[in-house]
Amino acid sequence: MRLKCIIFTAFVLLLVSCKEEKRCYESTDSLMMVNFLGSNGEEIDSLMVKGIDRNAVGDTLVHDTIAAEVKHLGLPLSMSYDSTGFQVFANGKAAIFYLNHSMQIKLVSEDCGFAPEFQITGGRFSALIDSIIVTDPVVNNKSSETHATSQNILIYFHLADN
Amino acid sequence: MPQARTFLFIFISLIISAGQLLAQPAKPEWRYEGPRVGIDLSRFLMSGFQHASRTGWEVQADIPWKGNFFPTVEFGTQQFDDKKDNFRYQNNGFYGRAGIDLNILKFESLSDGDLLFVGARYGYSRFKHWASDVVIPNYWGDYYGSIPERNMNAHWAEIVFGMKGELAHNFFIGWSLRAKILFSKSKDPVMSPYIIPGMGKTTGDIPFDFSFGVYYRFPLRKTQTLPKPLQMGGKSNDDEEEDDQFNNSGGSYNQGGFNRGGSSGSALLN
Repeated sequence: MRLKCIIFTAFVLLLVSCKEEKRCYESTDSLMMVNFLGSNGEEIDSLMVKGIDRNAVGDTLVHDTIAAEVKHLGLPLSMSYDSTGFQVFANGKAAIFYLNHSMQIKLVSEDCGFAPEFQITGGRFSALIDSIIVTDPVVNNKSSETHATSQNILIYFHLADN
Repeated sequence: MPQARTFLFIFISLIISAGQLLAQPAKPEWRYEGPRVGIDLSRFLMSGFQHASRTGWEVQADIPWKGNFFPTVEFGTQQFDDKKDNFRYQNNGFYGRAGIDLNILKFESLSDGDLLFVGARYGYSRFKHWASDVVIPNYWGDYYGSIPERNMNAHWAEIVFGMKGELAHNFFIGWSLRAKILFSKSKDPVMSPYIIPGMGKTTGDIPFDFSFGVYYRFPLRKTQTLPKPLQMGGKSNDDEEEDDQFNNSGGSYNQGGFNRGGSSGSALLN
């Protein structure tokens, strides 16, 4: 009888204590981390970035007016197409660049769900841009985790007036 | 007067009969042993406490071996369906576990079948998993997609602690608490399973699981020998040996056998 009591008590206690806690502690934003710089070390006074074909009001990705030598930004890539284009206004001068990429979704966790992982495969850019260096072609939800130091691409602008 | 004589005769007869009954040796008590088969009810009961649907069945079986050891096999299937706001994860498959339980409770009498046990298991699962209704919000437009079905397998070990109590003759209820250690699972770079049929959650360092079941013991063998209690520490204790002897309806048992009123040892049931 003693065991039967223990069995029943333990069962009830365990059943009552079964409480699931659900929380997502990880980011599911896969942002490409970009550093914008002047090709001759010029300061960037203002920077605005928009997605090409996303010109509707409110679709501006970045509008930064604090002067700095390096602008560090996180930009989203398209999940529907294998190329993503951005229009950049640096110190009032316009440039565009396109990045080619592949994409697959990955499960981050039970609580967080899925996030995309991109692989940058190439790109093209307009005249105002001096060069683009791909330092880390993999863009995933961890790319922006250490936002201050992480970097996927480096973009040098021709900012000096000729 | 003849009536009084009749009553006196009946009264004396009753006393004699009662005395004869009391003087008869008691029927010998048997200890029944055999394979015990049951089902895990927690699969049904716990589903009400979880947001995800977890259906399936599990059969558990053990057999006594050398008194306090119980080699055990468990097998079953599980279908898991987890519908969330931004995705739906599903898997289904079958699993099996094999291992042994060790009873650490002393049997108090021949009819005592209650167990308190610790044990270990090795588990294997084959299953397939997939995801659908995946929605990822994005600046360029929300993404809708799915992950196709993929075959997986997993190996793990379990450390088990639990109890089984005999509710009625040959019918048992019991529960077990299990700590699970995942050895390996198939690599899936896209989607690692967060639940494995038979093992449960893969998240957390050592996931715990709880099961609750009902069992029936097939009484294939009967014996009048009690299994020796487990000796902890090696040296035998005289007091404990004394405790192992007890009286039962005029006869006396010890661990070696039955001293009176029938044969000793074990016999197959007809």
